[in-house]
Amino acid sequence: MTLIESETRVSRQRYQRAVLAKKQAEELLDAKSRELWEVNQKLIGQADTLEQQVRERTADLTKAKLAAEAANHIKSVFLASMSHEIRTPLNGVLGMAEVLLDSGLNAEQRNMAVTIVDSGQILLAVLNDILDLSKIEAGQLEIEERPFDLAELIRTTCELYKAKAHEKGIALTLTLAPAASCWIASDPVRLRQVLGNMISNAIKFTNEGEVEIIAELRKHTDKHNDLILSVRDTGMGIPKSKLSKLFQPFVQVDASVARKFGGTGLGLSISRQICRMLGGDMTVSSRLNAGSVFTATARVGHAVAADRPAPADQPAGTDIIAARRWRILLAEDNKTNQLVFSKYLQGFDLDITVVENGQAACDAFARGQFDIVFMDVNMPVMDGITATQKIRGIEAAANRPRTPVMALTANTMVHEIEGYLEKGVDRHLGKPIKKATLLAALADGLAMLTEDRGDATPVMSRTAGDG
Amino acid sequence: MKGVVFVELISMAEDLAGEDAVDKVLEGCDLPSGGVFTTVGNYPCSELMTLVQAFSTSLDTPAGELQNRFGRWMFARFAQGYPAFFKDKNDAFSMLESIENEVHVEVRKLYPEAELPTFETRRMGDGALEMIYSSERPLMDFCQGMIEACTEHFGTPAAIERREHRKDDKYVAGFEIRLAA
Repeated sequence: MTLIESETRVSRQRYQRAVLAKKQAEELLDAKSRELWEVNQKLIGQADTLEQQVRERTADLTKAKLAAEAANHIKSVFLASMSHEIRTPLNGVLGMAEVLLDSGLNAEQRNMAVTIVDSGQILLAVLNDILDLSKIEAGQLEIEERPFDLAELIRTTCELYKAKAHEKGIALTLTLAPAASCWIASDPVRLRQVLGNMISNAIKFTNEGEVEIIAELRKHTDKHNDLILSVRDTGMGIPKSKLSKLFQPFVQVDASVARKFGGTGLGLSISRQICRMLGGDMTVSSRLNAGSVFTATARVGHAVAADRPAPADQPAGTDIIAARRWRILLAEDNKTNQLVFSKYLQGFDLDITVVENGQAACDAFARGQFDIVFMDVNMPVMDGITATQKIRGIEAAANRPRTPVMALTANTMVHEIEGYLEKGVDRHLGKPIKKATLLAALADGLAMLTEDRGDATPVMSRTAGDG
Repeated sequence: MKGVVFVELISMAEDLAGEDAVDKVLEGCDLPSGGVFTTVGNYPCSELMTLVQAFSTSLDTPAGELQNRFGRWMFARFAQGYPAFFKDKNDAFSMLESIENEVHVEVRKLYPEAELPTFETRRMGDGALEMIYSSERPLMDFCQGMIEACTEHFGTPAAIERREHRKDDKYVAGFEIRLAA
């Protein structure tokens, strides 16, 4: 081997080692590649499985969400129908009991009938509480804002509890700050409910002394004021440990309270929620055996006094009902309610036509002449609102003057009532209707009629208080 | 042990003594691998020790010194092949500190089966670092060679004091590295 050769040529062994090393490396790389491929396949499989699991989970969740929404909807529908289903027979019970009171009873019978009315009213209040709480929980409690006379609302609410306070020998006093003697914009029905609840509780838990109602209005901004309603009593007070639980639903100070004083334990919970929806709150301070002070606040708007007092402020005399043999059309599918309606009006000589659904009401209206229509909303064949719209159509087509239409219904949601008024209803009467409410509404409708007849463009769109 | 270590050791030996001498050594050692190494393979550590001993005899250089030279050789190849690890290191100590938590982390990504020594480090005031090598293999001289190459790479030669002991079947060496003032 020459020097040149040894520099340019490698030994056989070195060459063999290089070849073997190359082969070894290739085998190792092949194995590594295969390993990578397998791991990759595994990852792809896992990704697929995960995606499949995500899809399944998403589908499950969607299904559960839909089921929950459906269940919630069913609950809402159930509550709405329960409202109707319970109020309708209650209407019968209360109506008949009221009629019974007018039927020349002896003292003992009268006592029993009064008990029926009282118990029915309590049952109605409990039902309303439960429905209110359900609506609050479902976020469906509606708050309206309209102008009203604050002082008037407070006075009339206090008035309702005078008899009860007197009966227990408690003084019921009202201190109205001068600033509070004005009109405000808020929800009068809900404010009345809150104030009524506070006064009713105060009287319930006070055996001697007094219950004082204090109303103040403080300026908040140029547009809003803070309404502060306090009810102070000299009653038994509330132990400190129970104060925090007082506003929870279904909670009373203790079980003995429920036994002794009754109640659902919902009133304060509802009142506080209402206050919060009105932009305020409800708070309490109390000392055991020294009395309690409940304070409700609400953010209210400014309002100018209306030119014409609201109908509820000036109940029309019932003289007008007896003035003529008025022609009344009643559309009501429930036999008991038909009977209650007729019995309420039995003292008057009236021409009452009763039909059982909206279609029959339209037919009767097209054929005959009526001075006023009372229209149930939920009826078979055709509902009362559709029938009212058709009646407005019949009037327009025949160029007949507008006939007052009073809607009767157990649905008392604010937006629904507004809808009714837009669709041609003049007033709304919530069931169960008391005799006095029906007579007032009838008198009011007839008064509208006599005012508006001959007027070229009669516009009658008023809302009525619920009582 | 990773094949790259064998390949580099042979490379160094060829650089020092030429291919023929290396061929002779490889043929003289009765290695199970037959002296065939690839960078991607794994070979028993005992073969490395056999080769170091054989090259030591062939080159007439003590085994410890050969290991030290090999450590320096490997550091140079490392610095040349993986500049990314040096990018944000301003001195020898931060480079040495990064071996355990940066370099070895990357090595494990490529070679999960690699059996790596551990390098604990601890600063001992200004200009001094303690580095504790712990391994199943007695490569303390190799290690010191690398450390020396590292301090020289950054232009800061250092005095290195080494203490060795065995702990749980492991070779442990504490290096006290003091940069020349």
